Amino acid sequence: MPQPDLIKTGIAGLDEILSGGIPRANVILVEGAIGCGKTTLGVEFVYQGASQFDEPGIIVVFEVSPDKLMRDAACFGWDLRKLEKKGRIKIVFTTRDVLRQELQQADSVLLEEAAKIGARRIFIDGVTRLVGSEDAHESRSGFHVLSEGLQRENLTALLAVEAAALKGNGTISLPEESIADTVIRLRMEDDQRAITRSIEIVKSRGHDFQLGRHSFKIIDGVGLQVYRRVQAPRKPQRDRAAAYDPTTRLTPGIPGLKEITNGGYFLGSTTVMAGISGVGKSVMGLQFIAEGAKCGERSLMLSLDEQVEQIDRNAGTIGIDLPKLKKSGLVRVEYEPPQEIQVDAHFHHIEELVGEFKPKRVLIDSLSTYGSALGTSGRGFRDFFHALVSLMKEHQVVAVYNHENPEMLGMASMMGEFAMSSLVDNILLMNWIELGDTFRLGLTVAKMRGNPVERVTHECEVINGKGMHVLPRILPVRRLPFSTYTGLISRSPERRALDEEADSSK
Amino acid sequence: LLARVQVIRAPCELDLLLFLYRHPRALLTNQQLAALVGYDMDQVAKATDEFIIARLLQRSTNFKHESHMYLLELNGEYEEDLTAILIMASSRQGRVDILEVLNSGQSRTDRHVLQERQGPNASG
Repeated sequence: MPQPDLIKTGIAGLDEILSGGIPRANVILVEGAIGCGKTTLGVEFVYQGASQFDEPGIIVVFEVSPDKLMRDAACFGWDLRKLEKKGRIKIVFTTRDVLRQELQQADSVLLEEAAKIGARRIFIDGVTRLVGSEDAHESRSGFHVLSEGLQRENLTALLAVEAAALKGNGTISLPEESIADTVIRLRMEDDQRAITRSIEIVKSRGHDFQLGRHSFKIIDGVGLQVYRRVQAPRKPQRDRAAAYDPTTRLTPGIPGLKEITNGGYFLGSTTVMAGISGVGKSVMGLQFIAEGAKCGERSLMLSLDEQVEQIDRNAGTIGIDLPKLKKSGLVRVEYEPPQEIQVDAHFHHIEELVGEFKPKRVLIDSLSTYGSALGTSGRGFRDFFHALVSLMKEHQVVAVYNHENPEMLGMASMMGEFAMSSLVDNILLMNWIELGDTFRLGLTVAKMRGNPVERVTHECEVINGKGMHVLPRILPVRRLPFSTYTGLISRSPERRALDEEADSSK
Repeated sequence: LLARVQVIRAPCELDLLLFLYRHPRALLTNQQLAALVGYDMDQVAKATDEFIIARLLQRSTNFKHESHMYLLELNGEYEEDLTAILIMASSRQGRVDILEVLNSGQSRTDRHVLQERQGPNASG
């Protein structure tokens, strides 16, 4: 099958969702409400073409004066003036009437200007009234004339059209969409009280692309950054990755835990440490990281709950010199505040971190904070966690997630309202157990995929300056018959009183 | 500066040059250009011709087209002086000051012409 001649937009992340780029000479319609980023997208399309891909370009503006356009572009580090001086781009100011007449003429002055610099790209900002917005038929035929004119010159054209109906989650079908080869929709969506930007490829002739609403940001000094939506289908290698090395285990770093986890966690496995706040999950996590450094393995900690300086201090109290480990290059700690977390952008950041740092161990503190930020009722959190698990499996990372279970004593479910336990390979439940006038700490390995599980609750303790360790289990324990208990059917057994036991034996 | 560059002698010339400085490559009809600059067509046409003679401006020559491509070329011998004037005129006060100079120069010229017409003995 012949491969299409794709041109790269050069916009970070956009070519990925376009599966490599856009077929040359496509007419691209970019629609969106005011302020959604159409002009920035169009200008970057021409800028990147001229500066990265040896494709000179023309920018046509109606309302914005070219000097303002250049000033705004400079905020992203795009020196349009320099490119214009070098004859790589031209910015033409005109009116819609003139442009309409121009493109109906075979010897168009505008297209002649384009030909002079060997332009391959053109961006026309604000074609709305140019193509006659009132009447659908007129609009379509106006757009047809425009795209024919551009096609004569084999230009890849990006035309920005204002569509007020695309504000928020509104929808619209513009008559021009049927003629355009590629339709890109930009939106600003309400997300609680925040606003997020999304980009959707509605159609694109001649190649494959990733459906759905992806996120994007407009970043000072950079330009557009598009983030693939986390729900987007995974690449095939991720599916295969889980089977790469099914036998190697990494030790947890907590004395006594290795023995009750059959030697440690498998590569590519997902472990959740669930328990109420203060039970020692972060301590165990830090020991897991420090153990990695001891074994010469790179470890990454992603924290949403505590800032890096706090984590360093806390690690110091259990004898872990985290700054030193970080300095050694084996440990990296990242903090991101959970409020207004943008899931696609956040996942992209994690993907980059894992790809660049190549950790063997990842600690995420905590899953429940993601739940609070993304909400557990919709698909947002579930899709994000799915994507995270797949990413870690692809990279054969042992991932440990701290998860705050709100129940102080006992647990009615393993992960509370987070109905995700089927995705998790190992679950460690940590509980306070009230004995006499003291809370003591219990740890139960509740689930270990591919391993025998005893489901015995072990006592643990955290010692200042040393961290957590699992206390040895004192055996043999006398197994008493069921007849020595009451409340078996209700699953809350209690020992009978001794005299009651004696009576029942008579 | 104005005396040195010689191409800005009237308010219309200043405003046309300012417009072209902000829109260095403009594809417009004469009528649209005049409307955008804010003067009548004759004044703008005259100023445009002056700039073309001074090689400050290029205009597309395809007369089949109603519109023309106007291309400002600030790279001649007065580039620095012109740029300085245009930067100064980019602020409101700067433009007002330059217009004042131009208008006073204009009235001096008018007086001079009047005096010449009335003869050397005319007073006032």
